[in-house]
Amino acid sequence: MQTKLLSRPTFATQLRALFVIARKDWKVFWRYPLNAISNVFQPIIWVTPIYFMGKAFSTNGQATGFAAYSGTGDYMSFILVGTVLSNFILTVFWGMGNALKEDMDAGVLESNWLTPVSRLLILVGRTLTSLLTTAITSLVMLVIAAALFGFRPTGNTVAAFLTTIPMLLGLYGFGFAFAAIVLIMRDANTMIDVSSFLVQGLSGANFPVRSLPYWLIPISLMLPLTYGFDAVRGWLLQTSTLLPLRTEVLLLIVFMFVTLWLGAWVFYRVERRVRTLGTLGQH
Amino acid sequence: MRSEMSIFSSLGKPGILSEIQAFIAITRREWTIFRRYPSWIIALLIWPLIFPMMYILTGRALSGPDGSGLAVFTKTTGATDFIGYIVIGTTVWMWQNIVLWDVGFSLRNEQMRGTLESNWLSPTWRFSYLLGHTGPQIISMAMFVLITAVEFGLLFGVKLHGSIWLAALVMIFSIPAVYGLGFAFASLVITLKEASAFVFLVRGLVMIFCGITFPISLLPGWMQSVATWLPQTYMIHAMRAAAFENASLTDLWPDLKALILFGIFWLTIGYLLFTWMERRARQSGAIGQY
Repeated sequence: MQTKLLSRPTFATQLRALFVIARKDWKVFWRYPLNAISNVFQPIIWVTPIYFMGKAFSTNGQATGFAAYSGTGDYMSFILVGTVLSNFILTVFWGMGNALKEDMDAGVLESNWLTPVSRLLILVGRTLTSLLTTAITSLVMLVIAAALFGFRPTGNTVAAFLTTIPMLLGLYGFGFAFAAIVLIMRDANTMIDVSSFLVQGLSGANFPVRSLPYWLIPISLMLPLTYGFDAVRGWLLQTSTLLPLRTEVLLLIVFMFVTLWLGAWVFYRVERRVRTLGTLGQH
Repeated sequence: MRSEMSIFSSLGKPGILSEIQAFIAITRREWTIFRRYPSWIIALLIWPLIFPMMYILTGRALSGPDGSGLAVFTKTTGATDFIGYIVIGTTVWMWQNIVLWDVGFSLRNEQMRGTLESNWLSPTWRFSYLLGHTGPQIISMAMFVLITAVEFGLLFGVKLHGSIWLAALVMIFSIPAVYGLGFAFASLVITLKEASAFVFLVRGLVMIFCGITFPISLLPGWMQSVATWLPQTYMIHAMRAAAFENASLTDLWPDLKALILFGIFWLTIGYLLFTWMERRARQSGAIGQY
């Protein structure tokens, strides 16, 4: 007797599934409007101590020490660009790893897994709403922060925006690999917090990586995000960059292809193992 | 008739011993859950290091390659060890932050797991549910502070120029205010359900106003006034003075006095909010809803 599949997955059904996941997350997000307000003000809260700390290091409002490392004394614009990019980085990290943990806790992961939808697509779907809401809240945050601390982009905004695309797509590869680790370790919060915090920190979200202790610089230079932060700031704020801007963009494109492939490979291998062990629903 | 009566009388016989037993059971359960996820070891080792590191590395960048910025910082703050200065501020912030999440969300987590309603039916003093969470939390936080001191001492050469015992005393005086706020939060969270935004608000206030990385004298006047109403301002000030400025008990007394008053205030508010929430939940029957 031949086993016959009742479902007929096509490209259109996969797209529909993606849309349904995003719509569900959209509804959940706006169900708690306080979270949207929090997303706007959280980054401002995080950079406020740096604003005042910068004052403690400045003479007559000039952070000359910072300028010697970065090529700009406007440390708040430098940090605000890093903050906006960090918001998106967190979205991809959180969006997938954390979504899996939420589904585990709610007890729906196993039933979702039984649907005839690509599992990577389920993960990607969980980030779509987050990306959109992050874009909205980051824009509002930037307007408020500009009024409070000042934000002066003097360079090429379009080139800066285009540079973020390969960087973010490459992060999806990272996200797949992290989602795989969540499937094994189950408790995702610490792992996601620590790893994203470390990666952001060492790739220079808040400071020029040239100022890192000499033993940390090689680690920083190995992280593709370092070149992402550096290139976006180079385009937008005309800071001095580690490599020529075009070389940094090329590196980001190579990073995108490599991590997407590697992340998907790791995820499928781990997912098969978890299914074999039968631990998918455990949390 | 006799058998009918026995149906309505409580089967539980609450006494001091049974309350202590319940408290120990809750503490043991929390400890078991805490150990169930091995990632807590990573958290305990890594967080004390990486959170202050972000501010320390930013401070390093602001110092400049020739250290000219650092000279300005030393002149402004009077602190000779800028790493120690930042570590104290960020550690106090992390302590309050962890308590808000752990203690503040303890009842909410029970609600999400679906066990709060059944626990509520047991003949136990309900405040034990919060107190039971506090014991393991204080132990883990003491480990956290100890690890912070060891890591920054070994890796960054941060040395105490004051008294470790006075610094510990400041921490003990801070416990009622920090955990009282956690208790107040736990009741608020159970009523409002999705209250992460409130945690962000409170820890945000600490981050902006209490001078975790800078002296509050740099804040505008109105912000300095707000800072005087937050216990963490006194905690940070007293800890820095005890650890790095060789302050005596008399020097610390104004801060300790403020911490006692804040402690009494927040513990009272925490208990009153809990009783209010408990009554409200019983009347509305909303204890199991989420």
